[in-house]
Amino acid sequence: MLTFLTRRIVVSVLVLLAASFLVYMLAANSGDPLSALRTSTSPNKAAELHQRSLQLHLNIPAPVRYFYWLWGVIQGIGGHLDLGTSVTGQPVTSMLSSAVGVTVQLLTASFILAIIFGVLIGITSALRQYSGYDYSVTFLAFLFFSLPSFFVAVILKAYVGIAFNNFLQDPTIATWLLIGLPLLSGLIWQGILGGDARKRLLTFAIAAVVTFGVLFYISATHWLNNPSLGLPVILVLGLGLGLLVVVLTTGIENRKSLYTAVVVVAIGALAYFGFDAISRSLNVWSVLGLGVVAIGVGVLVGYLFAGPDRWLSARTGGITALLVGGLIVVDRFMQDWQLYATQVVSGRPIATVGAATPNLSDVTHSFWIQGLDSFTHLLLPTLSLMLISLAGYSRYSRANLLDVLNQDYIRTARAKGLNERTVIMRHAFRNALIPLTTVIAFDIGALVGGAIITETVFAWSGMGVLFNNALQQTDVNALMGYFIVTGVIIVIFNIVADLLYSVLDPRIRVAV
Amino acid sequence: MKLKRIGVVAAVVAAGALALSGCSAGSGDTSEIVKGTSITVAQNQGLSSVNSNSANGNTTYNGNITYMTNSWFYYYDNTPKIVFNKAFGTETLVKKSPQTVKYTINSGVKWSDGQPVTAADLLLNYESGLTKYNDPKGANFTAAAFGLGIDGSKVSISKDGQSLTVVYKDPYVDYQLALSTTMLPAHVVYKLAFPGTTTKAASGDLIKAFTSDNSASIKKIAKVWSSAFDLTATPSDKSLILSDGPYKIASIEKNASISLVPNTTYNWGPKPKIAKFTFRVIADPTAQVQALQNGEVSVIYGQADADTTAALKALSGVTTVTSPSATYEHVDLTFNNGGPFDPATYGGDATKALEVRQAFLKLIPRQDIVDKLVHPIAPNLKLDDSNVFLPGQDGYDASAAANGSADYAKVDLAGAKALLAKAGNPTVNVKFMYGKSNTRRAQEFALIQASEAQAGINVIDAGNDDWGSLLGNKSYDAVLFAFQSTSLGVTAFQAIFGTGGGSNYNGYSNKTVDADFAKLSGDFDAADQRKLLADVDKHAWEDAADATIFQFPDVNGWSSKIQNVSDNPLSPAIFWNYFNWTVKK
Repeated sequence: MLTFLTRRIVVSVLVLLAASFLVYMLAANSGDPLSALRTSTSPNKAAELHQRSLQLHLNIPAPVRYFYWLWGVIQGIGGHLDLGTSVTGQPVTSMLSSAVGVTVQLLTASFILAIIFGVLIGITSALRQYSGYDYSVTFLAFLFFSLPSFFVAVILKAYVGIAFNNFLQDPTIATWLLIGLPLLSGLIWQGILGGDARKRLLTFAIAAVVTFGVLFYISATHWLNNPSLGLPVILVLGLGLGLLVVVLTTGIENRKSLYTAVVVVAIGALAYFGFDAISRSLNVWSVLGLGVVAIGVGVLVGYLFAGPDRWLSARTGGITALLVGGLIVVDRFMQDWQLYATQVVSGRPIATVGAATPNLSDVTHSFWIQGLDSFTHLLLPTLSLMLISLAGYSRYSRANLLDVLNQDYIRTARAKGLNERTVIMRHAFRNALIPLTTVIAFDIGALVGGAIITETVFAWSGMGVLFNNALQQTDVNALMGYFIVTGVIIVIFNIVADLLYSVLDPRIRVAV
Repeated sequence: MKLKRIGVVAAVVAAGALALSGCSAGSGDTSEIVKGTSITVAQNQGLSSVNSNSANGNTTYNGNITYMTNSWFYYYDNTPKIVFNKAFGTETLVKKSPQTVKYTINSGVKWSDGQPVTAADLLLNYESGLTKYNDPKGANFTAAAFGLGIDGSKVSISKDGQSLTVVYKDPYVDYQLALSTTMLPAHVVYKLAFPGTTTKAASGDLIKAFTSDNSASIKKIAKVWSSAFDLTATPSDKSLILSDGPYKIASIEKNASISLVPNTTYNWGPKPKIAKFTFRVIADPTAQVQALQNGEVSVIYGQADADTTAALKALSGVTTVTSPSATYEHVDLTFNNGGPFDPATYGGDATKALEVRQAFLKLIPRQDIVDKLVHPIAPNLKLDDSNVFLPGQDGYDASAAANGSADYAKVDLAGAKALLAKAGNPTVNVKFMYGKSNTRRAQEFALIQASEAQAGINVIDAGNDDWGSLLGNKSYDAVLFAFQSTSLGVTAFQAIFGTGGGSNYNGYSNKTVDADFAKLSGDFDAADQRKLLADVDKHAWEDAADATIFQFPDVNGWSSKIQNVSDNPLSPAIFWNYFNWTVKK
């Protein structure tokens, strides 16, 4: 293990060194950092050109300049990392630290959501292989996958951003949508749940009626301008989610687990009032802390109910508590929505650019308002990134699950009389996720590299924008800074992926 | 009767008093700021420095901010024409020989920390532009504006400390532009260089450092001046963002936004009306248009391209204006590379070379290029007919009418053929350089190539993306690129048309032109200056040295609620009159 690690690291460092030299040469020869000055009519142009080329060390040949740069990196071992300055004189290290922060902020949500929804879609479409649902989902996934991101972004801004903001001026849902959307929802649900014609028809009817009811309520009460869930909705949704958790994890026949979920939802409903009272003084850390407390309470309830396996019930309790807590937090955000929409952004809440409303902290320090502001700014870029990367994950998990479902041990599991839930959730699903972990580990590495187009179009100055600007201005130091950060992270996560794989899959061992 | 007369007198006195109080740009209560008004501007890049005079800080985007947070001796209006701000200070030509200029800041002009703006600030600004203080081995201000020809001058400061008198070594006709107007507060610079100095003593100590040429101190001052004001976020030390202009910086969010609020002490110059300016960093033009549509920004500006312009024009509630900028496209012909335009090719026969050049220029479809490539974006732009004047500038019309550019307005095939015949129908192969990946330039090249072919002139595609660094290396016979004017200084064009000038890439040399520039450098009369420049213009066209074609179009869009916005070809473009902007409720 240790030899493996050492070998990997030594090889990686050598690869990075060679690559950095190559990239440096390419970057240094990719353009003319003085081009803007050359067409100036200023009388002191010659002096300026001379000054700039001294400043950027253009008088030193590029291969020699590389070693100056490398020396700065090597000094980093002693804690004095010097990546030089950009063409505008900013230290590259500080540019990188802010850019990495912005990129992580932008990409994390879309990354997590893409994995969750990708896996969900992949699993459901694998279970309904070759059904209408499978085909439509595959079609859509590939459609989004193949759309260029700047196009998706512009379309999202036009419809989900600008048109939706216009719609909020009078949020009454048009009749054709009021009829069309329920039908669509019915179609989707009967596709997912499947079954014989009677069951499909029933599913269709229920889904359509529920959707219609919700839409009608939203439209009639102008809910979108002053949204809230309220205790009844939280109760109903909480019970629904609890039931789902029970069905998926332990099965409805495990009564103790079911009782745990119900009790946790009831406790959540009580906590709703308390939370509301103290919410104004909370910040992001105390909210996260309360989340941990909620999970603890859920686990405790499950533990006390015991049942055939007390830790199973505890797990049900924990997950349910987290979900109910999430509902309560969402409801709390909603309470401030109207205030935010009317006072902070003058009635046009969905933002098309930037990470935050400028000077928001001058207006308010409320965690809830600032959270809403982050949400409205993250919504469109997250959607556009998610739609595009969803396809990959859904295809991976679909293929993996199908692969696993055809394995002998699944047949054995079914033959020994395990119910379908246990077969799929415990024996198939978990194993299907193993190959996905490596993909995810690679993607985390790529994540830090940023999304050039999405960042540019949504005006987030993260790593992608830094890279793009550096390339356009022939800003070699900035470009190398980008390279060193992304390069090192990709190498690290490649190693991590290899190690993870061997940990998760006992059939694979790291060669010594 | 008597009573009436007294009444009249009283009325006159009262009116006078009113007029006086109106004139004396007095206390804060004359502010015209309208509460609750705000304007958000999209711009391509964030703030990198509040010292827009340093080489690093000298960007358009920093310049827009410092233009609003500083007072100026002058600004350019949208004619473009220079406008002086006498309420801030004056620049007086005291004596012509040796040229003595007195730069005075009115008393009462203050930095936003309450300290007066004095000659010490002017002195710091002046010294930062000296070549000896831009020495990589010694004191190095790394000023963007050094090497302008003020070296060797003598300076003195008046007793009241408000005036700086400069005795120029060589006549300096652009003396009004010499002391750039975005100054840094000298007392802050000195205190940063020498922590522990009292605010009171700082300015005096700074003056002493320069008058005694104390190189150790100046080195420290230069270091602070060139780098301490490079800011990308709100500094904890607020003295770094002092203002002596209409607005001051309230906050900077790194690469995201910059907010400006009125500087309440300001009353020396045009009075602004808007209570808050926010600049948001949005690089992508489509994103800017959509942000304007969504109300996130209220003003966008920049170079026009077809897509952005079309998208802007389609918006309702938005005023869209295309206008010419100070960047002008032109074709340069090389005189000194042994090519078709070099007399040496014809055994030193200058006339033959001239005829070939004239024939070449006559076939450049100037109007066609404007019609086909510029008008679809900006139908209001016209041919640029002058080498030395910007359209609109005082002197342009007269010069354009008389400089002979009319001969090249339209493709003149017969004329070109006749000139070539006169020259003995030589084989003309023209290596033509342009920015290859630039779509518009590639299209211009195609139009020129096709047009020249009619008379048998063979234009060879020497398009190259590194054209900028190849300028002046004689590898091409003709080149298509744009020069960017940054001021209306009269000496700027010597670099382009003077023999051996820094931007004279084509080896152009004309004794009369050189003589004109020599005269120009000592002539302070504006009318004379215009005449001399017009003569340069005329010779450049007569010698067929180059042909100007068009000015790059800018496109600006703003919410129709904002009034009094107009574009200026020179920097700071639409911001030139931000103090007149108002917002309709």
